[in-house]
Amino acid sequence: MKNCSKCGNPQIIIKKKHSGQSLCRECFIESTREKVLKDIRKYKLIEKGDKVLMALSGGKDSVMALNILNSLCERNIIDLVAVTIDEGIKGYREDGIRIATENAEILGIEHKVVSFKQYFGRTLDEIMSESQKNAELRHACTYCGVFRRWILNRVALEEGATKIATGHNLDDETQSILMNYLEGNMHNLVRIGPKSESQDKRFTVKIKPLREIPEREVGLYAVAADLKVHLAGCPYAGDSFRREVGNFIKSLSLKHPTIMYSTLRGFERIKPLLKRELSSKVERGVCRRCGEPASGDLCKACTFIEKWDK
Amino acid sequence: MKIKVIINEEKEIKEISEGNTIKDLLKILEIPSETVVVKRNEFIVIEEEIIKEGDTIEIIKVIYGG
Ligand code: SF4
Ligand SMILES: [Zn+2]
Ligand SMILES: [Zn+2]
Repeated sequence: MKNCSKCGNPQIIIKKKHSGQSLCRECFIESTREKVLKDIRKYKLIEKGDKVLMALSGGKDSVMALNILNSLCERNIIDLVAVTIDEGIKGYREDGIRIATENAEILGIEHKVVSFKQYFGRTLDEIMSESQKNAELRHACTYCGVFRRWILNRVALEEGATKIATGHNLDDETQSILMNYLEGNMHNLVRIGPKSESQDKRFTVKIKPLREIPEREVGLYAVAADLKVHLAGCPYAGDSFRREVGNFIKSLSLKHPTIMYSTLRGFERIKPLLKRELSSKVERGVCRRCGEPASGDLCKACTFIEKWDK
Repeated sequence: MKIKVIINEEKEIKEISEGNTIKDLLKILEIPSETVVVKRNEFIVIEEEIIKEGDTIEIIKVIYGG
């Protein structure tokens, strides 16, 4: 059996297949934290004086990100506030909210819970049972994503936040790259990155501090660091295309442990070229209903809502 | 030999063969090893670790879809 590559401790908790490194608990926690902080500097995700709004679901990814960002907060580099969005998913979201709240309390971070109900008058469960009645075939995640983005952007403005941090990990990111590529969705593809680059000042910049940490390592970090996290699957998560693509890369990774890193690196290299080719300066207007930025007359969230209210 | 297995707070006594590793156990239980973190007697271990008589093995599922 191997010892820790850094300190020689025989009790290792991970053998990284992609780098050959073996690490003990302490060294794994330390090096993962360092890696995240290094990426924050490398991609200039955060500047001194930023007010960061953490999208905190209570899951392993956002709890880990919150804990690492908190170290920047303790050093007075940033201000940190957390927001948990209650989509209204019965039997699932309640635990997430409770755990998110506990984490914010432990760290002494200001925490808000906001809901779909409060902003849109309906829970995700209600949206889904309505849309089933009307035989609409959209996946729950489509509504969930659109409304969540809308709320995050709104809360960031309300809080005066300069950055929105999300818990996206390496698996999520390679999933998005592959998914958009496979769907031929090149305009969405070039938008993927550690930091959003919208020219529109009304969109708060979004950052992904865990973007280069594989999902399994996020899970290991949460257990190793004894974080309180909500480990459960969303009842709506079932067979979306995203899920299929995710399972596909995860299964490839078993035999090819560097595949997610190479997908990401390859993408980073072609992205500037694609961007030059595809860049279209779309004039963004304002949604006539809610005032959020929109490419048409209505933003995506309001398009759904207007249809329902008819 | 007998070991105690905990999955999602459900405890169960299991009979496995001498010399089995965590990886073997996960295979028997049909749990993909890349979706879990495993503790032996409260310490996180890697999947090559050999299980001993009387061990308590806790399997924590950390990867869910969605
Ligand atoms: S799995 Fe889909 S419906 Fe469930 S929380 Fe995630 S995006 Fe929302
Ligand atoms: Zn070590
Ligand atoms: Zn709108």
